[in-house]
Amino acid sequence: MRLFLQRTILAGFMCFMSLAGHAQARHTISGYVKDDQTGETLIGANVYLESDAKTGTVTNTYGFFSMTLPEGVHRIVVSYLGYQHHIEEVNLVSNVNLNINMVQGIEMQEVVVAAKGEEEDENVQSTSMGRVSLPIEQIKVLPALLGEVDILKTIQLLPGVSSAGEGSAGFYVRGGGADQNLVLLDEAVVYNSGHFLGFFSVFNSDAIKNTTLIKGGIPAVYGGRLSSVLDIQMKEGNNQNFQGEGGIGLISSRLTLEGPIVKGKSSFLVSGRRTYGFDLAQPFIRQTDFAGTNYFFYDLNAKMNYQFSQKDRIYLSGYFGRDVLTFAQPGRDFEFTLPYGNATATFRWNHLFTEKLFFNLSAIYNDYQFKAGFDQEEFNFDIFSGVRDFTAKFDFDYFPSNDHQVKTGIHATKHRLTPNIIRGSAGDTEFENTATAKYANEYAIYIQDDWKINPWFRVNLGLRGTLFQQTGPYTSGINGEVYETGEVVQTYSSLEPRIFINTTLNPNASIKAGVTSTTQYLHLVSNSSSTLPADVWVPSSEIVKPQRGWQYAAGYFQNIRRGMYEASIEAYYKSLQDQIDYRESYVDNSVDQVENEFVFGSGEAYGLEFFIRKNSGKLNGWIGYTLSRTDRTFPDIENGRTYPTTYDRTHDLSFVSNYNISPKLIAGVVFVYATGKSYTPPERVYLIDGELQTDYGPRNSQRLEPYHRLDLSLTWIPNPTSKKNFTSEWVFSVYNAYNRQNTFFLYTDYETDLQSGTAEVKAYKVSIFPILPSVTWNFKFK
Amino acid sequence: MRQSFHVIAISVFALFLTSCEEEYIPVSSGEGPEYVVEGYLEAGDNPTPPYLILTKSFDFYGAFGPDEFNDSFVHDAEVKVSDGTLEITMQEICFFDLDSTVRELLAEQFGLNADSLTINFCVYIDLLNQLQPQAGKTYDLMIAVDGDTITSTTQIPPRVPLDSLKFEPPPGDPNDSLAQLTCYISDPAGDKNFYRYFVATNGGQLKTGFSSVEEDLFFDGKSFGFQLFNPETESGDVDPEEFGLYFVGDTVTLKWCTIDEANFDFWNTLEFAKSNQGPFSSYTRIQSNIIGGLGVWGGYSVSYYTLEVAY
Repeated sequence: MRLFLQRTILAGFMCFMSLAGHAQARHTISGYVKDDQTGETLIGANVYLESDAKTGTVTNTYGFFSMTLPEGVHRIVVSYLGYQHHIEEVNLVSNVNLNINMVQGIEMQEVVVAAKGEEEDENVQSTSMGRVSLPIEQIKVLPALLGEVDILKTIQLLPGVSSAGEGSAGFYVRGGGADQNLVLLDEAVVYNSGHFLGFFSVFNSDAIKNTTLIKGGIPAVYGGRLSSVLDIQMKEGNNQNFQGEGGIGLISSRLTLEGPIVKGKSSFLVSGRRTYGFDLAQPFIRQTDFAGTNYFFYDLNAKMNYQFSQKDRIYLSGYFGRDVLTFAQPGRDFEFTLPYGNATATFRWNHLFTEKLFFNLSAIYNDYQFKAGFDQEEFNFDIFSGVRDFTAKFDFDYFPSNDHQVKTGIHATKHRLTPNIIRGSAGDTEFENTATAKYANEYAIYIQDDWKINPWFRVNLGLRGTLFQQTGPYTSGINGEVYETGEVVQTYSSLEPRIFINTTLNPNASIKAGVTSTTQYLHLVSNSSSTLPADVWVPSSEIVKPQRGWQYAAGYFQNIRRGMYEASIEAYYKSLQDQIDYRESYVDNSVDQVENEFVFGSGEAYGLEFFIRKNSGKLNGWIGYTLSRTDRTFPDIENGRTYPTTYDRTHDLSFVSNYNISPKLIAGVVFVYATGKSYTPPERVYLIDGELQTDYGPRNSQRLEPYHRLDLSLTWIPNPTSKKNFTSEWVFSVYNAYNRQNTFFLYTDYETDLQSGTAEVKAYKVSIFPILPSVTWNFKFK
Repeated sequence: MRQSFHVIAISVFALFLTSCEEEYIPVSSGEGPEYVVEGYLEAGDNPTPPYLILTKSFDFYGAFGPDEFNDSFVHDAEVKVSDGTLEITMQEICFFDLDSTVRELLAEQFGLNADSLTINFCVYIDLLNQLQPQAGKTYDLMIAVDGDTITSTTQIPPRVPLDSLKFEPPPGDPNDSLAQLTCYISDPAGDKNFYRYFVATNGGQLKTGFSSVEEDLFFDGKSFGFQLFNPETESGDVDPEEFGLYFVGDTVTLKWCTIDEANFDFWNTLEFAKSNQGPFSSYTRIQSNIIGGLGVWGGYSVSYYTLEVAY
């Protein structure tokens, strides 16, 4: 038996090592790719041989690459969107550490987008599908609502992504629910990504380095959500020179400071943003019956890193943001307070075991808290909800040969989910509801290999295994059984295969296809037309099953004119099981366990996405169009009638462009057109208690008129070539330039007079954002 | 909670955004009218005889006059109520068929002026009060009309009276012309209890406010005090400073009722549907206990309290 085991292990080891292929006379070049001015690592940079572009790799999330080549002299090319190509000649006689400092491509402060070479058409050559990265510089020159640059609103302009509503930062991806998007900030899950009822995102663009949206082929490294991953990385901070930037806008002001702690080895970044509209209005509010009423939100991002050696570096980053609303009526001794927001902290340790084996340990804390407090004389009560996670991740990137890039790892998360817990008092009597916090552990193990089988065929094979356990303390709502702390109440598990293939037709064209299986253990169910901060996350439990989804996608990808243009057509079909909604006639009284109000069903979504993007030149941008359908079927809703979701959009078109008129002026244009939202129409009225009441027709059986809007912007840089320590620019934006009255919500109004025997029933549509000009002054100093 | 959140949200918008609204006409699916039942049974203090109004719904949108209202009443239906041992058939009476004395009494009951009323209200009523509803009993409703059958069931739960009630000075700035009403109750432990209240001022019509029902999930088995808003001050024309408060010197009659869960669900969803309009809101379907139609068949255990607003 022992001999058998030894032989098996030896055979396995030999087999594994064979992946490395021809170890003799081959050596590994590894290192980091960085910006030469700031020391920021560059994610997704292409590293390849000048003589054979097919031999190459891409930097990982930490800017690391590893490439194994035959002994000899090689010219290594490194390229990255917006940077000049870097060519390094290497005489490879042993393993080499090669850190590349990239120089920005065009000497302009505005958006820098350079043409790609044929050899680096990653969007054509890679196996990734439905994946779009947006440089923050490109986002910053687009028109923005009230001048607030917003990552989430920009990703809504991509095909397959639809907006939660007028002005909203909420988004839906390929027919998935709002809770089915995994939003990560430096790996920490952000459970509520909106400020001010979702009109602004919590991501301060000055603190962000890179944004990647994966809406289709979600690699095995990610999990926990059905529909998409929005992976946002914060800047690391300039490790060469101290610098700052900021801005003053109509809604908020921002300030970011960054610089070296130890030059070249360590840096920091601190970034803050706060609104002040109501602060300025305080002298007027104090004169009213609502003295003390105020509202503001703020964000604070901080990050530092330290490179101990070529093999070890650590990162520590955090985010803290809050919305704070106070509604006061001193004359009635009444006060309503509403503080809510996220806090995240991420510690990461990168370690290079060998030139081919990169390791990252992440320890992550995130906490979303919502609280509402009512206080009037002797009566008061508070409502709490939120999610708190502790996560540990062990991730390995293994580069056995140029034909394989293996990722594997183990993740573990401890969740505490607080539903709407209500505590209050009326005089001496205290009361509370029956809701209690729920606890759960979530584990995942994954492996994926991006395998170049031959020059024209690549496959990315991945498998993710997950285990989810609801744990005590808990008292069963079904049989009353009491579970102690840590005792397992319910266990769910899942095996999620992820397979993506790429058949390269020629250097500029490929066909890709993929299958993605995903499982989601945490759920946010909203009874609103959009998600609100008061909506509650709940875990899978003895009542609520995990949501499960399968997505099948295929697409044709084409680059034109040496990558100046990239185009794609993708088709997808998504099947969703164990979807959750509130039962019909649900009333949010916040008194019971919210799970008792759920019903369960299924959904499907399918569509075609067309995308063409121009990456270089004075004029760049993209056009995205989606033709899609998404619906749900719940046996307990309208007897199982299949209905479209509120975010079903048959047609969704986005045109996004910016044009460098001169070094001093950049114009930006955004136009969007979408099929109107579906809604449930009032069908009839009837008399009860002498007043008219509404009876509604089938769910989501009618549509609002189509949504369309044009936004414009102009960025003026007074001194684009200035070498001064202080530079600034003005951004003028016009939201809804032709003053389209897009419907934001509907309401009905009745007037009944039984005495005269008359009544009138009317319906109104309300639009909230007319043409809205704004101006923002941005500055930089060093 | 969500209602409060929406109120705040709307207020915030109103402060610094210019919204624009215009009328629109929703497209009807043309499914036609439904039968609407509004029927009540009362046990306890001074019970009103069992009665039921049977109408048909209107298509949404537009203006309605007396003709439309008169046409909405469903006549010649067979309306039967059974408590398991006794089954009675309700009689249809219409307002214009009554003699002037009864007409005055009935109009007063609904807060209307009999002389200028243009609608010929018709109700099905247990004229002889044969049923004499009692707390703890279940009452089945069966309606047969034009080949259609409408059914429902309601239970009259045991009466849970208030322990006491008193008026107190309002919170906040001193104001000796206004008062808030504090009621004290001992909620029976273990059972789910549901309550509904009405208020009449100076002998007027009993009215309900925007939130007239409550369940005891928060206070099951407890004795405690709570405030009851004055529905008279909840219309849009009232000074916000007077909202929910009572006027010193008035005489107030409080009708305090215990109802069953289906009755609670009906009024709870009806009131939530009314208040839950605006940005972010989705529709709320009123949860009816009528099979074959819309509306409510509700049993009440009633307690009355009359007192002068003073402290």
